[in-house]
Amino acid sequence: MRPNTSPSHERPAGAVPPSGHADTRAPFYPNHLFVEGVVALLVFALLVILACFWQVPPEEMADPSDSAYVPRPEWYFLFYFQLLKYFEGPLILVGTFVLPLLIFAALFLLPFIDRSEETRPSKRPWAMGLGLAGLLAVAGLTVVSVVQDAEHRMDLPPITEEHLAAGEDLFARFCVLCHSMNGKGGFMAPDLSQIGARVNRVYIERVILTPQIVSQTTIMSQIPLSDDERHDVSAYLARKKK
Amino acid sequence: MSKIWLFIDRRLNLSPLLREMADHRIPDHANPLKKASAFMYCFGGISFLILLLQLLTGMFLMLYYVPSPDHAYASVSYIKNEVAFGALTQNLHRVGASAAVVMVFLHMLRVYFTKSYKNPRELNWIAGVLLLLVVLGFGFTGYLLPWDQKAYWATTVGVNIIETVPWLGGFIADMLRGGDEVGALTLTRFFVIHVMFLPALLLCLLAAHFFMVRRQGISHPL
Ligand code: HEM
Repeated sequence: MRPNTSPSHERPAGAVPPSGHADTRAPFYPNHLFVEGVVALLVFALLVILACFWQVPPEEMADPSDSAYVPRPEWYFLFYFQLLKYFEGPLILVGTFVLPLLIFAALFLLPFIDRSEETRPSKRPWAMGLGLAGLLAVAGLTVVSVVQDAEHRMDLPPITEEHLAAGEDLFARFCVLCHSMNGKGGFMAPDLSQIGARVNRVYIERVILTPQIVSQTTIMSQIPLSDDERHDVSAYLARKKK
Repeated sequence: MSKIWLFIDRRLNLSPLLREMADHRIPDHANPLKKASAFMYCFGGISFLILLLQLLTGMFLMLYYVPSPDHAYASVSYIKNEVAFGALTQNLHRVGASAAVVMVFLHMLRVYFTKSYKNPRELNWIAGVLLLLVVLGFGFTGYLLPWDQKAYWATTVGVNIIETVPWLGGFIADMLRGGDEVGALTLTRFFVIHVMFLPALLLCLLAAHFFMVRRQGISHPL
């Protein structure tokens, strides 16, 4: 049974609108359905192409004991992780609780907050401003995060045989007092023979710079290495996989 | 073909239903053939299409995927390296997830900037925000499933963030993890949320969303 109370804005196909002008709107079937089919095929083709070209390097299997791994979230969550970086200590609650609560409350209630009938952009400066600000914030934070990640990676010169040899010398001079390597060296600090399998090079750099990121009470001191020397050591250790 | 259709239609009287679904006209401002700016009005439909694809690729991945810490990683590499079209399916699912987030976000921006959420479409906007949360939930739970380093530690960080939320945070984090650390229970929970709870929720919300769109028609131009 067909309800006879169809809303007024949905005149049946072909009916002459009350104004007396002929209806120029395209019917859904078959015209629009065809357009939708074409768009669907295009989107599908695009996705397959993307899937062929945008690959990610394989990762190692999860190792719950390796808390040194520095994870990155999926790219569309990057803006949020970047945002959290600006809130430290107890302020983290602003990032993890207050802001999300406010933003989602505002989103849910938006139609009831912004009740005017006005839809022209020039007549709704607040809504336009807030919308653009939000959009720019998300886009900006994502870009900053991607750039910072890339910088972390770019700082490091490529690993060559020379660097590896230099790194090995430096390790023997500064590190084996405490750390052991392939059965030789000190026992005051963890064995690093397989460190490269557990953590990435950026993390090794950061530990040499600030040993406290491993633990607040570490006995490891700041090692007097130049930037280049540090890169050599991190190259050497990053290759220590098994 | 038409005989079969007649057979079915005589018994079930489907043609009025079909007519009800197909008999409507597309306003020019939302018809990309008539007005270039109407491409914005495709974003919702494209989101839907991508989600359908996710459903399909996901079902094929499930044929091989094993949600346990001992087998998850190996089953994913098996899919990528051994299964026919496995690498493509797996990568399509991963890329499709990003595409879905992008399209849903663009769709939301379209609705926001054309103010299509105003009276009488308030309820549909709310359904939309719920849909956004569901889509992000898919992304969050799906990220753990490959059980590689990135998956494990990103999820640990993510759940720790939830844990900081006052009052409910600790409870939700425990429910998600099923313990103090991300482990076997977390993986099965994320898996079931990803392939059962969220899809069920998604389909209900989409049904409501589309029902409202058809009932109310597309909003008028600016
Ligand atoms: C799973 C994600 C979603 C899908 C598949 C979806 C799909 C659709 C489709 C196909 C339409 C018809 C018009 C168009 O395509 O532009 C529509 C309309 C609408 N959507 Fe969504 N949507 C989703 C998420 C959202 C979100 C996140 C919001 C906002 C928070 C939203 C709010 C609306 C509103 C208010 C309308 C009516 C717009 C109008 O009449 O102009 N939707 N949706």
